[in-house]
Amino acid sequence: MKLPARMVVVLCSVSLLAAAFLAGVNLLTRERIAFNKQKEIEAAISLVIPGTRSSRKAYEERGFSVYAGVDENGSLLGWAVESAASGFQDSIVFLVGADAGLGRIRRLYILDQKETPGLGAKITDEKTFLQFWEGKDMNLPLALRKPPAGKEELGPAEVNTITGATISSEAVLSGVTVSLEKLRKLRSEGKLNVEGGHEK
Amino acid sequence: MKSRTLGQEFVKGLWAENPVSRQLLGMCSTLAVTNAVINGLAMGLAVAFVLVSSSLLVSLIRKVIPNQVRIASYIVIIATFVTIADRFMAAYFPPLSKALGPYVPLIVVNCIILGRAEAFASRNSAGRSLIDALGMSLGYTIALVILSAVRELLGSGTLLGRQVIGAWFEPWVIMLLPPGAFLTLGILIATALFIEQKSRRRRPA
Repeated sequence: MKLPARMVVVLCSVSLLAAAFLAGVNLLTRERIAFNKQKEIEAAISLVIPGTRSSRKAYEERGFSVYAGVDENGSLLGWAVESAASGFQDSIVFLVGADAGLGRIRRLYILDQKETPGLGAKITDEKTFLQFWEGKDMNLPLALRKPPAGKEELGPAEVNTITGATISSEAVLSGVTVSLEKLRKLRSEGKLNVEGGHEK
Repeated sequence: MKSRTLGQEFVKGLWAENPVSRQLLGMCSTLAVTNAVINGLAMGLAVAFVLVSSSLLVSLIRKVIPNQVRIASYIVIIATFVTIADRFMAAYFPPLSKALGPYVPLIVVNCIILGRAEAFASRNSAGRSLIDALGMSLGYTIALVILSAVRELLGSGTLLGRQVIGAWFEPWVIMLLPPGAFLTLGILIATALFIEQKSRRRRPA
């Protein structure tokens, strides 16, 4: 075979074989990867709405989803909003749980972030950050406390700032504020789909 | 090129031609993922898988591939193995795949792998290439584990996520940040060179 023809044949066959092989690998792992993602979301929902047995999507748009968490009797326990905020480095994807009547925040969980390790990355830390969000009043404007104070000293809608990571803390705060605002609006417009779960 | 025994072929990757401390290849992943031992170890193993498989395959088909398209073919082969490693990690070790983030797909452009394919596997028998790839992978993994152990210990006071230094220790956050990676790598390379020089002085050639 002449050289140019051989080059084409070799390169094409290498690529074709690679493609066929990868198609096979995708077929083998696709379901499991989707399953892992699903499981991660479900685990996070039962974390931000304690007591959740099952959850269903109540609303979805680009970059913003609402899940309804229900207990074993099918009554609505609360809402979980998945959304993102622009952090110091990249988007911070979070899940925030609210009670069924949209009175208080249940819990906050960070699904994905690329903040500075040891500083901004503390937004995933229960002790320095996440614990302060529990039970905060959703109908007051959320605010950051700086420098951080003891849990009892914080106001009803006040959470601690992470020392040295004000930008990350502010990013989460504004992301959560916007998401909860949107959640409230969707609910008052009756756009949250709660079929199956009934409000108490 | 003087011929080496198979044993020497393996051992050279650990010290004399260690990809990190002597060849300075694959620095991007070396610096970026070594902030925790588990990440360094996982990266080392992922690179080992890709390096061993692609070296073996490149060596097996080295006589079929025309010289002009060899690099393109190697890259396609390497990218295929990387994608396999990436998908399997996402399917079976989701937390690891999350921690390593974009660095697994970036193994494609890790110079160690293309470097070994071009400099070694394309000129040597399959057996020799396999041994070479195993030695290089082990050398790379060991270097990554040492780097990440130093950084995790000083930066978080932990090893493999377990607290090993008492609560009195204030972690040096800088060790987890990019400057910490450069500092540790510099000290590692300097130490390796220092030991090398010492041993050379002791037994003059």
